[in-house]
Amino acid sequence: MAWAAEDLIRRMAEGDADACGRFYDRYARLVYPLILRIVQDPADAADVLQEVFWEAWQAAASYDPARGSPEAWIVMRARTRAIDRVRAVRRRGETFVAPVDEALAVDRGDPAGRAADRAVIADVLERLPEHQREVIELAYYGGLTQAEIAERLKQPLGTVKTRMRTGLLRLREIMKPTTT
Amino acid sequence: MSHEPFETQAAVYALGALDGEERSEFEEHLAGGCATCTEAAREHAETLADAARVAPPMIPPAHVKADLMRRVAAWASSRTSPRRRRLLRWTGVSAAAVVGVSAFVAGFVATRYEARIGVMARETSRIRADLHRQEAELRDRLAVSQGVIDLLRDHNAQVVALRGSGPSAQAWGRLVWHEINGGYLFVANVPPPPPDKVYELWTISGGQPRPAGVFTVDASGRATHLVAPTRAPVDVFAVTLEPAGGVPAPTGPIVLASAK
Repeated sequence: MAWAAEDLIRRMAEGDADACGRFYDRYARLVYPLILRIVQDPADAADVLQEVFWEAWQAAASYDPARGSPEAWIVMRARTRAIDRVRAVRRRGETFVAPVDEALAVDRGDPAGRAADRAVIADVLERLPEHQREVIELAYYGGLTQAEIAERLKQPLGTVKTRMRTGLLRLREIMKPTTT
Repeated sequence: MSHEPFETQAAVYALGALDGEERSEFEEHLAGGCATCTEAAREHAETLADAARVAPPMIPPAHVKADLMRRVAAWASSRTSPRRRRLLRWTGVSAAAVVGVSAFVAGFVATRYEARIGVMARETSRIRADLHRQEAELRDRLAVSQGVIDLLRDHNAQVVALRGSGPSAQAWGRLVWHEINGGYLFVANVPPPPPDKVYELWTISGGQPRPAGVFTVDASGRATHLVAPTRAPVDVFAVTLEPAGGVPAPTGPIVLASAK
């Protein structure tokens, strides 16, 4: 791990395929569970995972260290691409709501597979108050907009917004001792 | 205006839940350079990245990397690097700009210097004509020189002196002569002829003059004249002043004559 992630991205921007391989090795394990968590299907998740790194390879030149860490950069790309996939599935006529409900149902369904998926975030999100965890999961993993969440939870839009913000701030506080 | 709404928006934005007008409004706000909101959005994104990091990692299927690297290798080998492409793009833009500016400047300059360019073009064509004339002259001189040298190598060739007489006593001439091959007459100090007159050379054998061509002289009084062969001995060579075009028998005064 001699290379800093920023350097790997810079080398990718210069067309260095080896750097792309190293970048994948470093972050694929981080974003794969996130993608799988969102799209649910392992085959879809594998497709999305490849797309995410392919696009990162092509967009490497646009990476700006001042705007976020390489982790945040690749995680946000993974989340966005995974949500896009889920929405594409929804447009094809399948329900989008069901997977979210399943995902939110902690102890329902296939215990082994579901538990593994939930483990992705369970550790930290479970430590949030339920009303904060809920809005974050629906938005971040479910791909619902603030208006959709407000409607689903029968809560005022302002309340949803505030829960999101306080939830994220709490999450940061929770992880501080963990990550440093 | 309170900044609070925007700070809340940063969290919603980081979660990807901001939509419609609010989203474009917030993005404009970020683009406007609000340091507080940019930092807020960045921190929320880092928090979510951290949340992913503290979760147990999962090893993705091996074929994903293999497929990815195949694509990347194919792409990398078939194209120049992104940086190179960016460079090329900027080079293209720069070149286009240069061409645009050049066209403008060229139009300006052309208008301004059109007259001058016309003068230069005429000058150029005059110089070219001069060169052609000089080249032709040199070729003629070279032919004469070569002809004289060839004649002098022949032991039958002779050099005949001509002397001025009458009003043109200062004139003189040399004739390199060969009965079979002809020869060259060189004269000097011969006054330029009047406008309607020329000089005419005669070969005289047995008291009978035969015309041997007409010539004129340059401003310095010199001339070179090619003489056709007589194929017979010549007693005397003489030059007279005759009407333009020459005459079959001498009528004017003798300007130059050989001794015998």
